[in-house]
Amino acid sequence: MKHWWWKFLAVALVLSASIAALRTPLAPAVVYVDAGEVSAGAAALRVVGYGTRFTESPVQAYLENGGQFVQAMRIEVADDRHLTAHFEVPAGLREDLCDLIVSAPGQGDMRLFDAFFYRSKGAGAATGTVKAPQRTQREGFVFPNRNLLYESIRNLNFHVPMWFTMMLLQTIALVFSIRVLSGGDPLHDRGALAAVQVSLLFAFLGLITGSVWARATWGGWWTGDTKLNGAAVTILIYLAYLVLRGSATDPAKRARLAAIYNIFAYVLMLLFIMALPRMTASLHPGSGGNPAFSQYDLDASLRPVFYAAVLGWMGIGTWLLHLQYRLARLEIAKNHA
Amino acid sequence: MAAVAAAPLACAAQGEPDWLVDTLYGGGKINTVLAVVALILTGIAWWLTRLDRRISRMEKQQRTP
Repeated sequence: MKHWWWKFLAVALVLSASIAALRTPLAPAVVYVDAGEVSAGAAALRVVGYGTRFTESPVQAYLENGGQFVQAMRIEVADDRHLTAHFEVPAGLREDLCDLIVSAPGQGDMRLFDAFFYRSKGAGAATGTVKAPQRTQREGFVFPNRNLLYESIRNLNFHVPMWFTMMLLQTIALVFSIRVLSGGDPLHDRGALAAVQVSLLFAFLGLITGSVWARATWGGWWTGDTKLNGAAVTILIYLAYLVLRGSATDPAKRARLAAIYNIFAYVLMLLFIMALPRMTASLHPGSGGNPAFSQYDLDASLRPVFYAAVLGWMGIGTWLLHLQYRLARLEIAKNHA
Repeated sequence: MAAVAAAPLACAAQGEPDWLVDTLYGGGKINTVLAVVALILTGIAWWLTRLDRRISRMEKQQRTP
């Protein structure tokens, strides 16, 4: 049992991270306002929240238009999730989209980005605006509540660790391949093969889970996105490794051929998954023109859960590789006997 | 008359359109998370089945040399 500690650790990490990923509540958020546009004058905006507790503490509401804030004159709270905010909207704001901010002590600033359009009627400096409201702090361990993502932000802790594990396994395959070229032990060739096989399992899991998430967020199972296509091409490149390795018959030649190809495959993987998507615009987080979750969302609450999930899944992946590798070693020993 | 007309609009009166109710409270997004977890478990199970078969094959060969 001496060598089992890391397997237990991996299972414990995956288990605790999965429970936290599923059970942590979402931060309270404003999800809907019933106006498409407002113009100068009185406006009553009906606001819907998610996970909010409007009745619990005094609620303030503001609209922000290009850095200018207007405070609601009066707020009627219907229940924990519904309120009506009465604004006296001044003339002379910028003709632009406005954010709606609802803030309540303990629940933080709940901002609905681009909530409605401000239809300008004539020019004139806006009076009736207020200073930027003081930020209210949010209490408790909660996940960020993002528009469109909502509850599905939990997928971050399942979908992304698949890709991290795939990359770890392909790095292990690279090390095996380099050792094939410098030594020639047939076991190293089988090690590289095993690592590529298990990495493909995680690549497919990453691809399928990403596709399901894309359907719920972007509306399509697949988009012609650099990150998505890059991932698909990476899978094809590693499938080609299996085909290439299977096509050679002489074991020594097969090992060297596969090892050289694998080194190129690794470089292409880095290029297609890490480099290219960062240089182009993309829907996928972590790509050019679209900030990663990490920038403002992988904050205090998501981070520990995410890291535990990544480490745990890497451990599970290594365990699967270990089984695959030991089996290959047995097969080699049997063939030599 | 007004009461009859208002009854089906009880939800709309709260200011929530149908799509929002569907996405948030119909569980549309949390079901996505469950689907993702189920897919991962299915994938791992499939892999273990394959591994099991390979080991069975070796065991069989060992018994009948």
